[in-house]
Amino acid sequence: MPTLAKKVDLSTEVISNELIAENHYLLRCSCPEIAASTLPGQFIHVLISQGSGLLLRRPFTVYTVEDDQITMLYQLIGEGTNVLSGLKCGDSIRVLGPLGNTFDLSVTPNPAIIVGGGAGIASLMLLATALRDADVHTLALVGSMNQARLLSVKDLQAIGVDTHIATDDGSVGHHGFVTELLNHTLETRDLQNPAIYACGPDGMLRAVTKIGLDSGIPTQLAMENRMGCALGVCLGCVCKVQLPEGGFEYQRVCTEGPVFNAKDIVW
Amino acid sequence: MTSSWQQKPMRYTWSEDEAMSDTHPSLEVTVADIQMKNPVMTASGTFGYGSEYVDFIDLNQIGAIVVKGITSVPWVGNAMPRIFETPSGMLNAIGLQNVGVDGFIDKKLPYLRNFDVPVIVNICGEQVEEYLEVTEKLDAADGVAAIELNISCPNLHCGGMSFGVDPKLTDELVKGVRKKTSLPLLVKLSPNITDITVIARAAEDAGADGLSVINTALGMAIDINTRRPQLANITGGLSGPAIKPIAVRMVWQVYNAVSIPIIGMGGIMTGDDAIEFFIAGASAVAVGTANFVNPRASLDVVEGIKEYLEQHRLHSIAELVGSLEIP
Repeated sequence: MPTLAKKVDLSTEVISNELIAENHYLLRCSCPEIAASTLPGQFIHVLISQGSGLLLRRPFTVYTVEDDQITMLYQLIGEGTNVLSGLKCGDSIRVLGPLGNTFDLSVTPNPAIIVGGGAGIASLMLLATALRDADVHTLALVGSMNQARLLSVKDLQAIGVDTHIATDDGSVGHHGFVTELLNHTLETRDLQNPAIYACGPDGMLRAVTKIGLDSGIPTQLAMENRMGCALGVCLGCVCKVQLPEGGFEYQRVCTEGPVFNAKDIVW
Repeated sequence: MTSSWQQKPMRYTWSEDEAMSDTHPSLEVTVADIQMKNPVMTASGTFGYGSEYVDFIDLNQIGAIVVKGITSVPWVGNAMPRIFETPSGMLNAIGLQNVGVDGFIDKKLPYLRNFDVPVIVNICGEQVEEYLEVTEKLDAADGVAAIELNISCPNLHCGGMSFGVDPKLTDELVKGVRKKTSLPLLVKLSPNITDITVIARAAEDAGADGLSVINTALGMAIDINTRRPQLANITGGLSGPAIKPIAVRMVWQVYNAVSIPIIGMGGIMTGDDAIEFFIAGASAVAVGTANFVNPRASLDVVEGIKEYLEQHRLHSIAELVGSLEIP
């Protein structure tokens, strides 16, 4: 595993904050320290509004890194993201990061299969970029409720990733679940040394885990949970992880994760 | 009401430095025989075992570190979800997931010995015997400055808070632990009781050296769409600014009921918040949930206290403790 960088907590200004799909925004800010050290899968913890009734920070994966800037792609989901979506260029924002672990790329896959459901694809964009940089053949399977909410397809295609779409309503791409696309890919292609990297709703991750385990393909999941501190202290973001010696323990998504080996997660 | 604080014994020892200094206020305090560079501790369960914060602050600058609650054996903790944000606060029902006393002594305490900061160990259990076992082990360990007895965790089905709402059980437990250690003994009180002074007096009479006031307030939140509780444990402990007025009130009540020093806590985010607790009767404070929001919160509170003392031309915290003016 690569060494994780020192965490920083800094105040910066919003550069842009745009609606990029129905109910989804892309926020850009300048964070040189975080931009320089963030690894695929890692996230930031954002203080949205000091002085309002909102107390806790909100965790967001780092979507892209461009020079000194980072972006985060987020879905409007509650009060916090609602306040966040109202931020304008020049507004200040506090960003703590980079946090969490990264994907295990010690064995080079061929191909790497990225499976993103909804805003979950945001956690896989830096990974796709790293795989492209390492000349790893990469497929991306992107699932969405509908065409209006479809995320990241152009960004993935722009870096040369072979991208396939599934929508719940069939408005674009495969009509059905992204996990059906995954099954189809595994059945119809001659894959030498595949590995799966997934992020999305729990139901999707469970289905991806089953497919990975049944077909013997190494599968890593980027988990998401409500978070308190994101520093490993409050123990509020844990997930149930199977232990090699039997039994289970609760591990912190913010510290031991967010990336876990799918075979270890107890659903 | 007469200003009873004036008749009270000092719960505070002046250091030579602070008695001599005319220009700069001294933040040094000795509370329940725990010597601290400043009166700001970290509240148990909000600062892990210290190492989690070293990217952000120098642990040597904190008054004291109170580590996550420790039990006789490792505890796995409650099911998810464990936390939920509420207006100006958060509910938690972690269930005291911790490494156990042996794990703490072997794996966490050696790291903390690298720092010049008092380490206070919060302990909890379901039975009196568990508290005694943990106390004996900590008493024998190197690097423990004090023990904080958690008789107020709202997320345990037995033990925890059940000790803290019954003066007889408080008496039995505090006396038992008192016999097992000569370390300073703090007792952390629950706000989930009609009259906190009853438990405060019981703890004092049983030999506590200081009181931590307060633990979280029992609360609950519901998802109205699914009609399910927001926490797997159904209820949880409310912390953060939402409970600060309750905490200030209880510190003031306890201050008027006992003679041992009080460590005030509950929603402290700033130096001004801490000052309120000193005026109510706390000799030191602990910063809790604020650590989740701002990893430098404890030191920001120290800085805020210092600024207040300077602005008000005060020499020490002692001049503030219990100084509530009732018109």
